[in-house]
Amino acid sequence: MASAPATTPSGPAVADEAQASSLRHRLPVEIYVLGFTVLVWVGLGVFSRYFLTAGNISNMMRQVSIDAIVAFGELFPIILAGIDLSVGSVAALTGILFAMMLAAHLPVLLALPLTVALGLLIGLINGLAIDRLGIPAFIVTLAGLQGFRGLTYLVSGGMTVAGMPSSLDLVARTSIAGIPTMFVLMAVIGLVSHFILRYTRLGRYCYAIGSNAESARRVGINVTQVTLVCYCIAALFAAFAGMLLVSRLTMGNPNAGVGAELQAIAAAVVGGASLFGGRGTILGCFIGSVLFTTIGNGANLLGVSSFWQMVIEGLLIALVVYVDNIQKKRQAGVR
Amino acid sequence: MKKLLLLAAATVGLGLTAQAPARAADFSKARIDVIVKATTSQYWATVFDGARAAAKVLGLQISTLGATSEADVAGEVTIMENAIASKPTAIVIAATNAAALAKPIAHATAAGIPVIVVDSDANTSKYVTFLATNNHTGGVKAADELARCIKARTGKVAGQMAYLTALAGAQSLNDRDKGFLDELKKYPGLKIVAHRTGNNDPARALTDSEDILTRNPHLVGIFADNEIEGDGAGTALSEKNLGSKVCLVSFDTSSEEINFVKKGVIDALIVQNPFMMGYAGVWYALAAAHGVVFPHYVDSGVSVVTKANIDSPAMAGLLNPKKYTLTPFLGE
Repeated sequence: MASAPATTPSGPAVADEAQASSLRHRLPVEIYVLGFTVLVWVGLGVFSRYFLTAGNISNMMRQVSIDAIVAFGELFPIILAGIDLSVGSVAALTGILFAMMLAAHLPVLLALPLTVALGLLIGLINGLAIDRLGIPAFIVTLAGLQGFRGLTYLVSGGMTVAGMPSSLDLVARTSIAGIPTMFVLMAVIGLVSHFILRYTRLGRYCYAIGSNAESARRVGINVTQVTLVCYCIAALFAAFAGMLLVSRLTMGNPNAGVGAELQAIAAAVVGGASLFGGRGTILGCFIGSVLFTTIGNGANLLGVSSFWQMVIEGLLIALVVYVDNIQKKRQAGVR
Repeated sequence: MKKLLLLAAATVGLGLTAQAPARAADFSKARIDVIVKATTSQYWATVFDGARAAAKVLGLQISTLGATSEADVAGEVTIMENAIASKPTAIVIAATNAAALAKPIAHATAAGIPVIVVDSDANTSKYVTFLATNNHTGGVKAADELARCIKARTGKVAGQMAYLTALAGAQSLNDRDKGFLDELKKYPGLKIVAHRTGNNDPARALTDSEDILTRNPHLVGIFADNEIEGDGAGTALSEKNLGSKVCLVSFDTSSEEINFVKKGVIDALIVQNPFMMGYAGVWYALAAAHGVVFPHYVDSGVSVVTKANIDSPAMAGLLNPKKYTLTPFLGE
């Protein structure tokens, strides 16, 4: 974790001891969120007799999968201290084109690589505009949020695309060893992302650039390359999510993924990522996504008003960031 | 309902002949702005189709305008203000928000531009006529269809019901829900046990439907108040193989919903006539510009589409505007 203090105090051993003790007391925020999620699960298990049933758990596994994949992709730009606001629109555009290709009887095995290529191309455009043209990521991807949604409506005429082949059900409606296939796919994507961030040079460069882009550049990290790869990953995962949405909804829908970017950012932040860069884990993103899915599911099962659900989600984001800040302050105080 | 529509159309015919005695009147200089709530949905595309058909028959110009999202109230106000400034012959508009569009519509009328309000009303009476679906009636029909379906399946009109609202704060959806709930009082055996409000998000409509089915295993019926919720509920039912157990009635139509009706997952669609809103809207607008007076409200009608009548020619045009055949009177 990049949560260790950036400077080491040069004082006597007492300071080192104090710092070590502060580190022992500082758990990553994911742990608190995980604990809270478990509490919510226990609470829902007590208050709703349907919550901890096999059917509901498998529902939730399918519900969380797509959100988590988008959040995993979103994490890469966030670690760089960037952001990608276009992921929801990219999911819609890639999804609708995927659906249109399938409706035109293109085989899935051809439509899939084409959609993946489109996702990578979009990521490349985002990355180049940010790194080469020097436009802030927020603006580039805000333009993408609007522009790619517009393209989605243009190519579809604003209409849903039906007539998907039944082979698509293999993804959305089957299970592998009792676990929904979508969840398995999400887990694979998550594990690969975790590996990249944790154990590869590329991953460590991401944290380095997010912590201090200038020093990263000075030690010889190819910032351009890492930036391009990160935005490509965000768009690629959005394209995965777009295709999975088509499979889950059994249609291409131009309204798909509206607001998904905010959901993804919220999941990453609740899972311990910092919008100032340098911090964030795949596990945290996953826990954040699970928590939001749980709240939605719990609200539905308990019949809590949809409007209260939004209020609760908002409070939760604020609370988590507050807890995280308190921790950082405490740590800084000790130092 | 249909009679009233024809009556109004007859007035138009009379008005036009009175103003322009020559049969081949030249309206090529007339321009009518058609403003819808969102240019991105099938429903509004159909309104445009109807408007274009009328423009072709009448030989006039139309501009098809609208914001990209129904949630963009300010966007529609801006479009309306720009339209007024460009001085069209008349304006046909569907008000995204009754309060926000009231003033712009009154301004247009004050500027001497006749306004025909279609589909969704505004909080003003300063327009020519309101041509729309009676959403309350549609909700009533939905409740009756559900009761009929539940009786056919279980032998009695009793059990747990759920309904799905697509978006908060939309007048037409509120009216549908109210009509549905009002009519449900006639069937004391049917009890509402769940209600969710979505955000016109297809994935959320599906999630909400799945969770409702989890929470209420004895559910006998669902009312979805637009096609996005209907798609979601239909997908959830077919996912869980409950299509033959839970009755589902949805407002509006999408290509997937039509498949669901054919498969028996959706029992009835409450279908509006957006083509006629666009078609008659443009025709009325031109007539109003020539001084024809209209009743304050004209009902454009709702139809109930079921597996039994889905392939009938009468329904074909409602489900697919490309197959819309105009009645001899309204045609050329």
